[in-house]
Amino acid sequence: MINRRAFTTLAAVAALSLGAAPALAESYPSERLNYTIAFGPGGGNDRMSRTVVDILKKYELYPGNIVVENREGGSGAVGFSFVKNKAGDPYAATSTSGNFIGTPLVSDTDWTYADFTPIGLLASDAMFLVVRTDSDFGSIDEFVEAAKAGRVTIAGSGSAGPERVTASLFAQAAGIEYEYVPIGSGGELVTALTSGSVDAVVANPSEVAGQMEAGTFKALAFSDSARSTNHPDIPTFQELGYDFSFSLPRGVVLPPELDPAVQDWWVATLQKVVGTPEWQEYLVTNGMSGNPIWGEEFGAYLADTSTKYEAVLKDIGAIN
Amino acid sequence: MLADIVSNLSLGLSVAASPEGLLFLVIGAFVGMIVGLFPGFGPAAGIAVLIPMTFGLTPTIAIIMLAGIYYGSMYGGTITSILINTPGESATVASTLDGYPLAQKGRAGPALVMQAIASFFGGTIGVILITALAPSLANFAASFGPSEYFLIIAVGLLMLTTMMGDNKFKGFISALIGFAIGTVGVDVMSGQQRYTFGSPELIGGVYFVAVAIGLFGIGELLHCILNGQHRQPAKRLRISFRDKEFWPTRQDYHESRFTFWRGSAIGFIAGVLPGSGATLGSIIGYSVEKKIAKDPENFGKGEMRGLVAPEAANNAASAGAMVPLLSLGIPGSGATAVLLGAFLMWGLQPGPLLIVNDPEFVWGLIASMYLGNMILIALSIFAIPLFVKFLDVPYVNVVPVIVLLCVIGAYAINASIVETWILVISGLIGFAMKKYGYSPAATVLALVLGSMAEETFLQTYIISQGTMNLFWVRPVSLVLSLILLTVVVVPLAISLSRKAKSYKANSTRKV
Repeated sequence: MINRRAFTTLAAVAALSLGAAPALAESYPSERLNYTIAFGPGGGNDRMSRTVVDILKKYELYPGNIVVENREGGSGAVGFSFVKNKAGDPYAATSTSGNFIGTPLVSDTDWTYADFTPIGLLASDAMFLVVRTDSDFGSIDEFVEAAKAGRVTIAGSGSAGPERVTASLFAQAAGIEYEYVPIGSGGELVTALTSGSVDAVVANPSEVAGQMEAGTFKALAFSDSARSTNHPDIPTFQELGYDFSFSLPRGVVLPPELDPAVQDWWVATLQKVVGTPEWQEYLVTNGMSGNPIWGEEFGAYLADTSTKYEAVLKDIGAIN
Repeated sequence: MLADIVSNLSLGLSVAASPEGLLFLVIGAFVGMIVGLFPGFGPAAGIAVLIPMTFGLTPTIAIIMLAGIYYGSMYGGTITSILINTPGESATVASTLDGYPLAQKGRAGPALVMQAIASFFGGTIGVILITALAPSLANFAASFGPSEYFLIIAVGLLMLTTMMGDNKFKGFISALIGFAIGTVGVDVMSGQQRYTFGSPELIGGVYFVAVAIGLFGIGELLHCILNGQHRQPAKRLRISFRDKEFWPTRQDYHESRFTFWRGSAIGFIAGVLPGSGATLGSIIGYSVEKKIAKDPENFGKGEMRGLVAPEAANNAASAGAMVPLLSLGIPGSGATAVLLGAFLMWGLQPGPLLIVNDPEFVWGLIASMYLGNMILIALSIFAIPLFVKFLDVPYVNVVPVIVLLCVIGAYAINASIVETWILVISGLIGFAMKKYGYSPAATVLALVLGSMAEETFLQTYIISQGTMNLFWVRPVSLVLSLILLTVVVVPLAISLSRKAKSYKANSTRKV
């Protein structure tokens, strides 16, 4: 440990003595990394961030020390703002999730997704449309028919969150009307369906995987563009003829205004991270699919997700 | 059935009673008590902070330790409610009502001992009920949808009236202030923001912990200073185990012998229902106790039963909350949600099959809760003289320490200055409430329950297309509606018939 620190200090001194910008890129990284988590401990963003940091440490992919800090508040507004304001600092990093797109759309933040340096989408967090196994809906087509004949209720957590965006995109693609029921937390969402209060829920795979395994719930379709690596038997909406896809970016971004060499270094490093067995295990445990996208392509993906999100929020009247 | 229970428990004990299991259980329980002592730094934060410490342990041992923090904080959380009138979480608000007056009467020692015993009793009854009933109770919890939640919260709100103090009008105003604060944040239906003034910190609403610490802690301090308590010499309470005043009297035990049972049963049922189980449990436990007491006028003035009931209830509820967590994978509170996150981190898939796939884990955890409660009552009773010593310190020196604790607690919630301002403002409001006889307990509980009531009511409204028929079409809802109706109508009818009688009596007399 001490040796490594002495080494990095030497490297930093060397970089300083050369004194030129390209030299920074050559000696990068030479300092402690500050990994900010914009959400509380124990949540989805926290688990992903800590997994990435653990892998970086275990395989010694990052040559310095890494400090992890939770800065929660305002649905990510506080933590992402903190990282955005470190413009030009190559030793700050944070993980994205749904709120990285959603929070700037619904509230007055001093940042948007476009302010950050995109590194990579490590996993996508898409949604299942789930019904009770003992319900009348054997397939998604039966569900659509029922919606056209009468009235269906779909619940999801939050009023203007990714669940609602997914439900709304599905309804548009299928040409149906539905009643959206916003439900607070993951637990109440599950009981809303088990108690027969609503017809279907849109939920994160990890929230309903236990019930699906037990045979109480059945997923009709998956909202990603490809099938989930964990549930390869559940078709995507697109396969079933409902032409949309929506998923949330579980990725890593750095502050704005960075040397392109830093971005390249991180893309190469995180490509090693997603190749580890630990990362594969993380994907399985948390019910995510891993179809990574890197660098500016990730930036384009963020822009596309934000556009879809914004359109739905305007449509339902959550924003003007 | 009984044989099953015995074999399950012995499997669990073989895991929990191992030297390693016991060591980490003691650590968890101790940390939990400490976490409970700091207002604002609740079990959810405590568990989250210690999760990294558990890396390297086996999953079961890790979760045993984290669960120890969870129910251990219920023991510690009441200590501040009793000593400085500052509940660290909504589940211990009801405990301030009689706990603090007891301490003011110089009975802090017996109050703390009774609190520990009630916690132990409630916690242990809770675990026994989990052991015996977990599978059947899971189905009960699964049958709760938005309409049932609304009705159960409505019962809780009605029970608030017993906590409002003598002046019902001021009590209602207090509750309305709580409802008003509860409207801040994102509207659950439209996603529009209400009263956030563009501040991202307020999008999630006003978190009740800062409000509770301000209304109770700071408000109480200011009121004591107004009364000149800081100029009085400190009361010399030289309390040790040998003193008679340290222990509750035979009368205390005798009066509350049924309270233990009632509080535990009510708390456990409330805990099984996901939502605000421990809070609802402590409110209903307290109200029922006051309603059926022959001397309800003593409640709120330092009545031991008024402390025992909510304490047995909130500990039984924290055990009850493990039922939906273990058998359905449904977290009922912030702390159990963090525990659920820890399950996932350890590769345990929460859901109905957890108990089938990982019986050693589930039963190890349940068995550890029996041991944990025993460790906690021992820890509590040994630590009480230390806590009571705190009252020996002159008030002049106590004030800055409490203010510091409150400010740190409020700041620690989100590491943001917004909560600190909320604390300061609620402190001033709390002072005025205390001075003019309003009820801060009603405000805090209305804040917690009000936004839940609004959400579940609107969900019911949408699902039933505005007809509200869910309240009587669904069987469980129907039963709850009838209970609610009885609770409202019967007392009204009784008082009306009394009035009619006395009117008749008066009119006959006139003739």
